Amino acid sequence: MKLKFMAALACAAAAASFSAMAQDKVVRVGVLMPISGPGSYFGVMGREGVDLALEQLKGGVNGYKIQVQYEDSACSPLQATNTVKRVLEQFKPHIVIGEECSDASLAIAPILEQNKVVQLNAGSVTMKLTESGYKYVFRIFPNAEQQSAPLVKVALGHLKAKTAVILHEKTNAGVDNAEGFKKPFEAAGGKVLATIDFGRDVNDFTSIATRIASLGQVDVLPTFALEGQTVRLAQALAQAKVVKGGGGKGVQMGSIWLPWGFDQKAGQAAEGYVRIVQFDPGENRKMVQDFVKAYKAKYGQDKTPTHINAHAYDTILLVAEAVKRGAKDSESIREQFSKFKDVEVTTGKISFDQKGQNSDLSVVHFVETQKDLSWKALNWQQ
Amino acid sequence: MSDLAALIAQQSINGVYLGCLYVMVALGLTLIYGVLNQINFAHADFVTVGAFTAFFAATRLGTKMLGLPDAAGYLLSLFFALGIGALLGLAINAAVFAPLRERGDELRPLIATIGVSVLLENAQLALFGPIPYQFDSPFARETIRFGRIFFTGQSVLVVVVSALAIGALYAFMRFSFWGKALRAVAQDRETAGLMGINPGLLIGLTIVIASALAGMAGALLGPVIVLTPFAGASVVVKAFAIVIIGGFGNVQGTIIAGILVGIIEAFTVQYLGSGLIDLVVFVLLLAMLVVRPTGLIAERKEENV
Repeated sequence: MKLKFMAALACAAAAASFSAMAQDKVVRVGVLMPISGPGSYFGVMGREGVDLALEQLKGGVNGYKIQVQYEDSACSPLQATNTVKRVLEQFKPHIVIGEECSDASLAIAPILEQNKVVQLNAGSVTMKLTESGYKYVFRIFPNAEQQSAPLVKVALGHLKAKTAVILHEKTNAGVDNAEGFKKPFEAAGGKVLATIDFGRDVNDFTSIATRIASLGQVDVLPTFALEGQTVRLAQALAQAKVVKGGGGKGVQMGSIWLPWGFDQKAGQAAEGYVRIVQFDPGENRKMVQDFVKAYKAKYGQDKTPTHINAHAYDTILLVAEAVKRGAKDSESIREQFSKFKDVEVTTGKISFDQKGQNSDLSVVHFVETQKDLSWKALNWQQ
Repeated sequence: MSDLAALIAQQSINGVYLGCLYVMVALGLTLIYGVLNQINFAHADFVTVGAFTAFFAATRLGTKMLGLPDAAGYLLSLFFALGIGALLGLAINAAVFAPLRERGDELRPLIATIGVSVLLENAQLALFGPIPYQFDSPFARETIRFGRIFFTGQSVLVVVVSALAIGALYAFMRFSFWGKALRAVAQDRETAGLMGINPGLLIGLTIVIASALAGMAGALLGPVIVLTPFAGASVVVKAFAIVIIGGFGNVQGTIIAGILVGIIEAFTVQYLGSGLIDLVVFVLLLAMLVVRPTGLIAERKEENV
């Protein structure tokens, strides 16, 4: 009897030890996304991408389970701060993916830095995120300068623009993108007739369109705002006959912010809209086509993945790649990320520079919205 | 017409249109305050419910199921939004507000409006998801031009429907028995009760009318705003400011303040910058509170509604 008891005890101890080992072989990923508020569509699309990647990885890589915990940070610096503190204390992540909105991403960066936890960002553009000397911040999304510089080049070169009106939301992201366009455009001899900012609570853009119409000939209108506001803005500019979609001469230009489907929502007002895209579901690369196929199989044949789906999907692929290369905790994930060069994902190739910013923009290209609201890829060299 | 005159005319039209949208949202708020002395924090969510009701009534019921043309489908959706708003107001009053009022506590119904707001917002989030809906009114696609002046069919519709709603509300309050009874309850609930009027019923009627107006406001706003479960919140803060500027509980003051704020916003965009809209409106609100705390139209309370 005693022998049996001892054997059972030994078995229990072995099981506990095995369980502890199994627990050790986990890479914990905190995902902070806006699930409520005006930016909540980021969260929904982001989660779709993460879930798909996890499903394909079958939950793990290299013997490590990738455990994800989703949290709502609402695009809000305050909520993101509170959420990340709670996640750090309770979930103890090795890496945090997020946030989408620049203001919220900036708010959590110093907290993660202090706790030596890697932040992988896939949706914020503000320059400050990777220009503040953080060692644990990495970003695959092109920053404001990387997005605005090609717009300036195309505006001056291909569109022969002499005048511009810059439209942007009043956020760190909007301001940085606007500055990223304004400075080089003016330095190259272009004239910025007005820089018009607006809060995220602005709904009616008729007065703004009227003002722009009163400024005389506007050649280009770079726009940096969330999808919903950009739709309304494009429609108001068309009604005021400022842009091509309304019979005007101006060309509205957009950044990578806008997800696939914007053109259909804006309708005829979107005709002639020129923008850069990082993820193009029509791209021939095998990785992109495999992703589109898998996405449709999981979420419906009538759905087309957006860049938000793709970026979120890529973040998990990058974590998996780091683990595959031997990473098992925050410090080793940081080390592996620092060594990344030409790691292929759906949104291009990832090579982080010393500041943690992806420097490879090889797949970023321009598209123009056609009369039937489809995209036409433009062969413009940046 | 000179450039300047055309510009002033255009921005004035933009301002009146925007002002009418604000008035439609603010009317329900001011009506409830005028009769109940209560702020309804759930008002924004009634507006959002109206917008979603109109969206589904226009796109699914009107055009797909009934085979109506787009314009008829949208017009039908206005009535649906009005009706659903009224029914929602009736249900929430019966289930939440009325029982709390019967306990004689002023604070609990106020807090309950916050609870109702969170409930409605999250219910809509669960039902409709957070991705913005594209709600296009066929009237918004029609641009009417007189020389350099332009406006959409939607802006004409907003102004006309607002005028009709205001007219109907005025006629109801001034000439109908129920309207007179409602004003009596606003003046003195206790005395009105002694005269054989059922204050509970009249308060319920007020909430139903305010919710119906909010629903219709949502239907008009739907094609203007970015339609998500949080859409109403983007206009209701401005509506609160308008109600205070106009004189809390004063319908006439709310109408004037709404149109004034719309026009001020349009000219702020033109001459100061759109980033300063909130600054200008809320400086106006603070100035009004300091200089004329009773609002633009300082009438005796009994004449408010």
